[in-house]
Amino acid sequence: MRAPGICAAVTVALLAAGWAASAQASPEDIMGWGPRSPAMGGTGAACSNGADATYTNPALLSRVHRNMVTLGLSGATFDLSATGPQLPGRVSVLPAKGYVVGVEVPVPFGGLLKDRVAAGFAFYTPTNALVRGRIQYPEVPEYPLLADRAQSLAIRIGAGADLGYGIRAGAGVAALANLVGSIDVANTAGTVTSRVDDKLIATYAPTFGLAWDLPFDRAPDGSTRWRIGATYRGSIGATFGVNVDASKLSSLNLPVFNIAGVAQYDPPEIVFEAAREWDGWTVAAGVTWKHWSAYPGVFEPTILCPADTDCAALTPPQIAFSDTFVPRVGAEKVLPLPRHASVRLRAGFFYEPTPVPAALAASPAYDLASQGLVNEPTRFFDASRYSVSIGGGVDMGDLAPFTIDAWAQLQALSSTTQQTCTGSFTPCSPDIGTGPASLSGTVLAYGAMLGVRF
Amino acid sequence: MRAAGRLLAALLPVAAACWAADARANPLDVFGFGSRGTAMGGAVSADVTDFSACYYNPAGLALAHGLEISVGYFRADQSLYMNGKNSGVDPVKGVVGGAVVPGKVFTLPFAFGVGFHIPDDWLTRVRALPQDQPRWELYDNRNQRLWFGVDLAISPFPWLQIGGGVTFMAATKATLDISGHVDLFGPTDSSLRHQVDADLTLIAYPSIGARIEATKDLSFALVYRGQFSMDLNVDANVQAGVGLGRAGDLTTLLLALQTDTVDAFLPQQVVGGISYKPTETLHTNFDLTWVNWSAYQPPVTRIMTQLNVPPPAGGWPAGIQPPTVPAPTVVLPIQIHDIVIPHLGVEWRAITQRTWEGFLRAGYEFQKSPIAAQTGPTNYVDRDRHSVSAGLGLRLPAPATLLPGDVRLDAHVQYSVLPTETTTKVDASDPVGDYTAGGHIWNVGMMATVGF
Repeated sequence: MRAPGICAAVTVALLAAGWAASAQASPEDIMGWGPRSPAMGGTGAACSNGADATYTNPALLSRVHRNMVTLGLSGATFDLSATGPQLPGRVSVLPAKGYVVGVEVPVPFGGLLKDRVAAGFAFYTPTNALVRGRIQYPEVPEYPLLADRAQSLAIRIGAGADLGYGIRAGAGVAALANLVGSIDVANTAGTVTSRVDDKLIATYAPTFGLAWDLPFDRAPDGSTRWRIGATYRGSIGATFGVNVDASKLSSLNLPVFNIAGVAQYDPPEIVFEAAREWDGWTVAAGVTWKHWSAYPGVFEPTILCPADTDCAALTPPQIAFSDTFVPRVGAEKVLPLPRHASVRLRAGFFYEPTPVPAALAASPAYDLASQGLVNEPTRFFDASRYSVSIGGGVDMGDLAPFTIDAWAQLQALSSTTQQTCTGSFTPCSPDIGTGPASLSGTVLAYGAMLGVRF
Repeated sequence: MRAAGRLLAALLPVAAACWAADARANPLDVFGFGSRGTAMGGAVSADVTDFSACYYNPAGLALAHGLEISVGYFRADQSLYMNGKNSGVDPVKGVVGGAVVPGKVFTLPFAFGVGFHIPDDWLTRVRALPQDQPRWELYDNRNQRLWFGVDLAISPFPWLQIGGGVTFMAATKATLDISGHVDLFGPTDSSLRHQVDADLTLIAYPSIGARIEATKDLSFALVYRGQFSMDLNVDANVQAGVGLGRAGDLTTLLLALQTDTVDAFLPQQVVGGISYKPTETLHTNFDLTWVNWSAYQPPVTRIMTQLNVPPPAGGWPAGIQPPTVPAPTVVLPIQIHDIVIPHLGVEWRAITQRTWEGFLRAGYEFQKSPIAAQTGPTNYVDRDRHSVSAGLGLRLPAPATLLPGDVRLDAHVQYSVLPTETTTKVDASDPVGDYTAGGHIWNVGMMATVGF
């Protein structure tokens, strides 16, 4: 009798992947999403219990048993620097700010599925742009994996099911959009005419989650104390690709310009986590593997060679990104108050290694002054980060259907150096930037949210 | 104190405009949203409680009794002709669906709704053609886009529901810089690089609706939908040396292109609706939609060009024509006026059994073309549109233990005819000349809804 229920629950969870639409983007990858997980060092794959689980582990949406809408603000400010020859010192970066909306809804099936299935929706939109795609010349100093990746829309929907025996499964989908198209301009009888044909095409990435309430060390009331969770998040990105054809604008034989690049990218990720919950305490620890070596990089050539032929167009620098492991730990203490109200205190830590190598290939460019090709330094900066986070919240219980949560993260970039080489990388020879760039800085991320039960 | 609470509650949906997200566009205006609404000619603003209320009238969400999840599909094939030749207007097709989550905040009925239309091929398409090129202005490209709506609603009194949200879509603004060396003999051997600074920016506009239940059988609705347009502004700057091969530069090239395109303009709308139930099984509805088409901006790209290529010191080599600077595009105004669209819809619960109910639906709407006759150089082709529709509905109350609510299946078919008429040009030498245009559109779709 239990097996059909499990099968039905699995089916529901898998079907969720079929219709759920969601847009993962990098803000969650950098600072997390929701009222709880970012305060706990980005943990949650084994301990989320609300809309956070849509990102951290959709299987844990099955722990939701009430309707709730969460509204709030989150963002980050960046203080990043790059010092060395021909470097500016402080690198100018726009702060990230955005609105957060979360929804958690139990799906009231009857019979075997009663109180076993729930859905979640997680949304973040920057206040000034849905997606920011900034692809600069390689020699322009910037932290592209950190600053611009935070300027992106994020939407997620998922569903989770309690399969019985302490096992939970969930699925969701993440999506972003690629901009592709063409702009053709021509000189028709002495007047500019044009055809514009651009499309936003959705890209989707699946998220799958599993969790298991371990059958030992149970509390006196029989509830579980230990849980392990695992989450897979597929790769997702936003590319920009517009062909500008001005070859018929004048008598000059201009090439077709391929204006393209990868504006946003999150690598495939696998998360493992274990959590223990007892006496109002929750402690979680885990590790996230990020498959950065699959990252194609942001740059694309401006001129595409005709099919099956070689041409002398410039080739942008390729960067050999490395996979990374991100360890995380987080804790929460719930202090009960009368009438089911409570105060919640949270803290966490994670260490995010950089996937960018310490030595980069040079970027070829045409120098108008010398009328020849030169090598420019590739200033694609990034550094490993240590992040400590704190947060707190109030659940008003029977007093009012509201929760209030806030969190802050301080991410410190570990001091590191980066070089651009044309020949050997070890040792770097020659160093195009005339010396290594010293990288350092801090990121302060924050969020505040109001939850309404209904 | 209680009245103040009610007033505050009434203002909540308006405040929802501060955060609710919703992307409205045109496919729903033309082809309806969901099978029930489409089958009833779109005349449901005072008689809608499912996910489609996110479009027709968000206030209706507050009447939902339980969680509902809907999903379906529709396809509209457009057979539109000019001079007897099919214009090849792409079909509009995609997945439609949504959910309604009702509940209570304190003691006030409250609901959250989400609805979406996701096209099969792309989320949005921006297409701007030269203004003299004939195109079906209201059908060619404007309907090729995503629609995604999120709304809130409350019912401060049993006879009043208020709902609203904010609609938003994306506009694109991009600056492209290209630099290096252009090889005039071998363009693909040019040594060029580029950088991009592109933003998809937010465009927001409000949508607010109210429903008043005058009696048990008579309801009124008022809905406002804001104006929207999707802009694509791309500036391209080329700064390069120009030469023959890689042997240095003959001269320099400075090219600046500034393109501004307004696409998918959606005028603001006001809908007034009435729903009357002469019997327990019959709903008769009538809506009037005012559409502010006179504010319309045609999707013609405005281009400013600056081209500066000084002559080489020794003059231009043989075979190279000196470039000239073309004049900028002059966009001619479009003559377009406001219209009022009547919608008529009927729903009859024809069969009532213990285990199932059957519904028959029908509707009609008429949209007079807002675009004046194209007798000049522009060719924004349009015609009046009569749409008749029909639909079937099946409701299965509590069909299984797992599903304590109900399951509903709905289907629709809508046939629109655009009568063929001839447009006569004022200028006998017009390159396009006189033309006849007309056609028809078939729109079919199905929905499945699970209620809890």
